[in-house]
Amino acid sequence: MKARNAVRRGSLNLAALAVFAVTIFPVYWMASTAFKPTRDINADTPVFVPTRLTLEHFRTAIGADGFGTFWRNSLLVTVVAVVLALLVALGAAFAVARLQFRGRRGFVLMVFIAQMAPWEAMLIPVYIIARDTDMLDRLAMLTLLYFIFTLPFTIITLRGFLAAVPVELEEAAQVDGCTRLSAFRRVTFPLLAPGLLATSLFGFITAWNEFAFANMLIVKNQDDRILPVWLSSFSNTFGTDWGATMAASTLFALPVLILFLVLQRRVTTGFVSGSVKG
Amino acid sequence: MALHTAPRKLRDPGQELRRPAVPGRRRSLVLWPYLLIAPTVLGVVFLLVYPLLRNLQLSFQSFGLRELIRGGAEFVGFDNYRELLTGGEFWDVVVRTLIWTTVNVVLIVGIATLVALMLQRLGRAMRILLMSALALAWATPILAATTIFQWLFASRLGVVNWVLVRLGFDSYEGYSWFADGTATFTILVILVVWQSVPFAAITIYSALTTVPAEIYESARLDGASDWRMFRSLTVPILRPIFGLVLCLEVIWVFKCFTQIWVISEGGPNDATTTLPVYAYQIAQTLHHYDLQAASSTITVLLLAVILFVYLRQLFRQEGEL
Amino acid sequence: MKTARLLAGAAALAVAASLSACGGSDDKGDGSGKGDKGRTTIDVWLMRDSVSEDFQKEFEKDFEAKHPTIDAKIQIQEWNGIGQKITAALASNDAPDVIEVGNTQVAQYAASGGVKDLSDKVEELGGSDWIPGLAEPGKVDGKQFGIPYYAANRVVIYRTDLFEKAGIKEVPTTREEWLAATKKLNTGKQQGIYLPGQNWYTLAGMIWDEGGDLAVQEGETWKGALDTPEALAGMDFYKELQALGKGPKDSDEAEPPQVGVVAKGDVAQVIAVPGGAKLIEEENPELKGKLGFFPIPGKTADKPGAVFTGGSDLIIPEAAGNPDEAYTFIKALAGDEWQKKLATAMSYVPNKKSLASVLASDPGASAMAKGATNGRATPNSPEWAAVEANNPIKEFMTQVLTGADPKKAGATATAAISKALGG
Repeated sequence: MKARNAVRRGSLNLAALAVFAVTIFPVYWMASTAFKPTRDINADTPVFVPTRLTLEHFRTAIGADGFGTFWRNSLLVTVVAVVLALLVALGAAFAVARLQFRGRRGFVLMVFIAQMAPWEAMLIPVYIIARDTDMLDRLAMLTLLYFIFTLPFTIITLRGFLAAVPVELEEAAQVDGCTRLSAFRRVTFPLLAPGLLATSLFGFITAWNEFAFANMLIVKNQDDRILPVWLSSFSNTFGTDWGATMAASTLFALPVLILFLVLQRRVTTGFVSGSVKG
Repeated sequence: MALHTAPRKLRDPGQELRRPAVPGRRRSLVLWPYLLIAPTVLGVVFLLVYPLLRNLQLSFQSFGLRELIRGGAEFVGFDNYRELLTGGEFWDVVVRTLIWTTVNVVLIVGIATLVALMLQRLGRAMRILLMSALALAWATPILAATTIFQWLFASRLGVVNWVLVRLGFDSYEGYSWFADGTATFTILVILVVWQSVPFAAITIYSALTTVPAEIYESARLDGASDWRMFRSLTVPILRPIFGLVLCLEVIWVFKCFTQIWVISEGGPNDATTTLPVYAYQIAQTLHHYDLQAASSTITVLLLAVILFVYLRQLFRQEGEL
Repeated sequence: MKTARLLAGAAALAVAASLSACGGSDDKGDGSGKGDKGRTTIDVWLMRDSVSEDFQKEFEKDFEAKHPTIDAKIQIQEWNGIGQKITAALASNDAPDVIEVGNTQVAQYAASGGVKDLSDKVEELGGSDWIPGLAEPGKVDGKQFGIPYYAANRVVIYRTDLFEKAGIKEVPTTREEWLAATKKLNTGKQQGIYLPGQNWYTLAGMIWDEGGDLAVQEGETWKGALDTPEALAGMDFYKELQALGKGPKDSDEAEPPQVGVVAKGDVAQVIAVPGGAKLIEEENPELKGKLGFFPIPGKTADKPGAVFTGGSDLIIPEAAGNPDEAYTFIKALAGDEWQKKLATAMSYVPNKKSLASVLASDPGASAMAKGATNGRATPNSPEWAAVEANNPIKEFMTQVLTGADPKKAGATATAAISKALGG
């Protein structure tokens, strides 16, 4: 019996290691290529464990035109859009999860349908609207768009997190003389914080990735371009310079990875409590 | 039923009485829910519904490059829809999109469930290791991931070709993956599955952990087999979360665009042209913005039909709350 | 509680930052572009590799010295996805003032109504002397929208040192000689020729040599013609040549930029415009003086291979904020003085026939001029740009090069071309 258990445990761990390898390898390959000298990248036998490291590719990437500006633009647009979406979604999620009102079902349905919007195919109408309202070439336009991209999903997730916080706690606070609002602020909100952080990560990834609109709506002001557009023209400019391209990709992925590492524990606990109640 | 806390669990009857019931405040609170959802509704109306309506308008006009630049589009009724729906190409694309969605979603949810079950059984250290890897894969931005896959499958110096040659498949020496329709399709599936499994797996795993261990324990004491426990304990618990994950994955995979566009632009020979890619192509290359608008309207309708069952169930559930 | 305050603070900060950022973008991107000192800023889009960095600097300096009230901001655009970018620019309310447009693309933009009619400037610019390969595509319904900028056709750039080492004394003048020489050069790490699989302009020349074409006009309608025996023969030769190097079968000369590949060494020949040699030398100074040119060999020695006459026109969008200053800019760049300098600096064919003599002493340009005697254009359909935008010819090439049945691939591509040209 014990032996069988050990075998089971062993094969389970082995399988887990295999999944681990498959999952991590592309990320590892990106980072290691970025740090490898060109000679090792172009070696006929791939160098799996780099022994010589170089920052040369990062210098190439950062030295490329406008890297700093695009990075800052991207961060700005993404953070503002996500924070805006969180604030708006918090209200909506609270209403849906805690209050009964006429039209609630319709509202939830609307949020789900909004999630289905075929954004890429709506490039031209959005472009026309932006042009006619004088919003072309403005980061504010992109910010608003990314806000609405992330909003439906943010509401859906936040509502799940909110539903997982026992309503009784809030009520107890109200009994103790708190108003509904301060009860929410003092009791529910702190419990919700992990959920908020997890959700913000989702939003961040979505907005950080967007490319098509950024390419079409920022026409003339090259200084207002954002990182995804830069990355695509970058891999073009440098072509087979996989080292520089991977260094650029690493720099692009960095904020999300850092954010995740910082939030990791909160996010996973957030998931546990939040996603139970879809 | 103005302000009424959603009864999530059975509460002791006295609780209702203890709630502060000030008549005047109550009435002013009727507005609360509406105030809270107002920003969302406004945002959706201005930033989503309005462009959608403009899109709908476009789909009934003759709208090309000239109209985009100078304005003055003509109303043409259902011409655009007729042109799309009677052409064979469009239906090929629809079928391909359905295949694309099915293959991806089945793989994603299947693999994610296995990984979630695995996570549940792993020791602490292994679990954290695997969770971190999943998180890294999930957090890698789409564009970066897409670039990585291009590099992995590059015909020269690509690591995949190297491994295959090492394993004895000499024909993969310098093999051009992106020249063959099926190969490109497969790579895109691998890419999308790789990116999507982490979210689904972590979510399902989270749902699994809400089942108290005692239940499993007592079931095991009763002599239930693993399979039986999975079927009668795990599956029912997972059902609602499955619904949500399935629905979201269908939406995401169906709408998937960036990966396909960057890697293949829908080629070779249209082998990877799904609906969003097709719509982008007719707008980009043929400047038929009218056809694009019509095709995106059809896309929404199609998605709505596919998700109808889920949405209906959702609507009913919401009513019960 | 801490988190709450932190979040709120972050939100406020972020919103404030975004507001100030929007304010900031206002004063730099304004259409009128009138600065404090009465200088007008004009935005100019030139394509990658259209001018070298040195030339750009020199021209900008001279232009701004002569026109102190104009601040010319030249932005270099990538070829990839440029169609969408130009469309977005032409349809906007605040377009760039001057845009360089490829000569196969200019007709569709001119026809769309988003480009300024410059017919009344033709005389002042000496339009009667323009080379037709650039002037005609820029003309729609008798009105001149595009101003010829420069032309070029492809030649073979080769490494003189590697030819010498291989014992090849004379440059090839027929296809047989060319194949034989390339075979000799293709040894070990060294590539006989770097020919990416999707260099469709080069393929077009080979098809023209066989007497075929990419598309033919039958009455009112255009039809693809890649399934004809002539086209397949041209493709056959391309395949034979392509195999004598390590050019990727599934991409074109822009990805990776072939200039960079050649600059790394180990490549004996490459098909490019002569200006490519300068860019190669710029990237790898060691190759200076080691690059030679010859026209793409034809089927017989008496006639060079057919080549596509490429080039660009300059346009002023209707939505340009400063059309007058834009015209001043075009007048300078397309004027005789700078055309001569551009032609010698970049080895381009200048926009006027009478200026061609400046190239006499340039080996690259004279090879190009020889080839130009057999120069051709893409099928003259206004819808041709649609074919290029989602190029079925490239797919056809990759298919054949990776072993597909040429007839079947040709038929598929032919159908796709016919469809694009049929609208």
